[in-house]
Amino acid sequence: MSSPTSTGFSELDPWDEALLAALERNPQERLLTLSELAEASNFSTTLLEVVIREGFLTPVQEDPEPLFELSDAETLKAGLALVEAGLPLGELLDLARRTDTAMRPIADRAVEVFARYVRDSVEANASSDEEAVKKLVSAFTTMLPATGRLVDRHFRRLLIEGARRRLAGDT
Amino acid sequence: MTIRIETTDITIEDALARRPHTVWISPHLTLAGFGPRHRLDPGVGPRRFERARWMFDEWVADQGPIRSDGPAPSGPYAFASFTFDEESSPSVVVVPEVVYASGGGSSWLVHHGPPHQSWGEAPLLPSPVQPDRPRFAGSSLPDHLWLEAVARAIKEIEAGKLEKVVLARDHALWSKEPFELHRVLNKLHSGFPECMVYLVDGLVGASPELLIRRIGDAVSSLALAGSARRDADPVADRQLGLELLASKKDLHEHTLASASVGRVLGEVCTTLDRPARPGLLKLANVQHLATAFSGVMADPHHVLDLVGRLHPTAAVGGTPTTAAVDMIRALEGMDRGRYAGPVGIFDAAGDGEFAIALRCAEVSGARARLFAGAGLVNGSVPEDELEETRIKLQAMLSALE
Repeated sequence: MSSPTSTGFSELDPWDEALLAALERNPQERLLTLSELAEASNFSTTLLEVVIREGFLTPVQEDPEPLFELSDAETLKAGLALVEAGLPLGELLDLARRTDTAMRPIADRAVEVFARYVRDSVEANASSDEEAVKKLVSAFTTMLPATGRLVDRHFRRLLIEGARRRLAGDT
Repeated sequence: MTIRIETTDITIEDALARRPHTVWISPHLTLAGFGPRHRLDPGVGPRRFERARWMFDEWVADQGPIRSDGPAPSGPYAFASFTFDEESSPSVVVVPEVVYASGGGSSWLVHHGPPHQSWGEAPLLPSPVQPDRPRFAGSSLPDHLWLEAVARAIKEIEAGKLEKVVLARDHALWSKEPFELHRVLNKLHSGFPECMVYLVDGLVGASPELLIRRIGDAVSSLALAGSARRDADPVADRQLGLELLASKKDLHEHTLASASVGRVLGEVCTTLDRPARPGLLKLANVQHLATAFSGVMADPHHVLDLVGRLHPTAAVGGTPTTAAVDMIRALEGMDRGRYAGPVGIFDAAGDGEFAIALRCAEVSGARARLFAGAGLVNGSVPEDELEETRIKLQAMLSALE
């Protein structure tokens, strides 16, 4: 994955550099300041600060001021929709913390599985560095949204199953 | 008519099993009220404590002589629950026709009704139906708006307008069946044995915070402020306690609360003992910084006089008191009712015990209102206060389940 350097920092292999680049945001994407994000999401600044302190919203750029992705506004709006539908904010934050705690090790494991079975395999079988880079970036850009869809569908199914069980048992 | 005081061999368990309508349980004294209730309305305003005393004294005098079959410790008794805000109503004083009392190794009955009304005739009520679950019915102020209020209050504190304020919020609940108060009472009593457990006119709760106890010229109080969660792992739990004892923010919050108690008791006591540093009071779900006071009064003030002087302490109001109460009125978006007000018992001699009505619910049939508050000082973080109140509300909710 990387090799030690005299400075102590890691030097990435070309395919890992390409993967890292794929993780970076599109430089053309418009970024929002905190107040712009508040306006775009209908969140108060107080609430935004809470979400940031809790670690559920991270600025993509800190200097000279925190800047956020446009898509953050959509995520925040989804949270606000839950609150406006009647879910207490405290319960939503609690669910978010639990989700974060539960999903972190799964995410780490998924990255490990990707590295072991996809990246290592591509590296072993590609005829050139260029081919390895191309295959890896292609695999990554396919797998990331696919993983998101899988998690979304699975959690939705769990929610519906839970709701059905609850309805069956409730009077 | 006379007030009769008779010793009895009935146990506390037997008494509570008979479903008293009014209850006070403390480590020192257990009282359970039965039969018709005589209600006194002390009204609103700063003199409501004084009026409660007068009204009860007048009622006792109207009953004629007090006859005792032996050296019964004390009685007759009144149960009282006052609103937090002096402008709110109703504060209530209840004098049951029959009061079972137990403390100091003996038990006795105090009754003032007609001769045929005796303990032995107090009926056991039928078992309640299987209770429905508590269902959420909303809050006076939705919690995301309460969070905004907390953030505003913290900014005012940071700007130096006040040192501390306690902001509370509520949960309204409903159920398909009336809430069974004795189940709630029993759960609270077994879950929080260190607390004072009370049921007064629909206000049911378990409070760890002793506002004042007066026995003759001796007084005691327990100031609590600054809290942390418990952990099932004893090592982690101990660490949480140590962190709480070292937390500057929590120590500051606690110092304000204990100072407000110490100041008042210092005015009436010739001697007043308190530890140099707070200790820990560990309850089932939370641990608090605690300072215990004990003193001897120069003149024996009536317990209600002491209640009036102490309330609201900085543990439930803030510092300075007037600015804090004004902020509570402006920001909480609700009437606290009897939540965070004094609740307890007193007798004709002026002795008594009062807790601060925390960890409580106001229950009326199939409706209930739960409350929880958090103390805000410089350095408080809004979402931490939201989480603290969420955990406190859940503890009370589980008592209603």
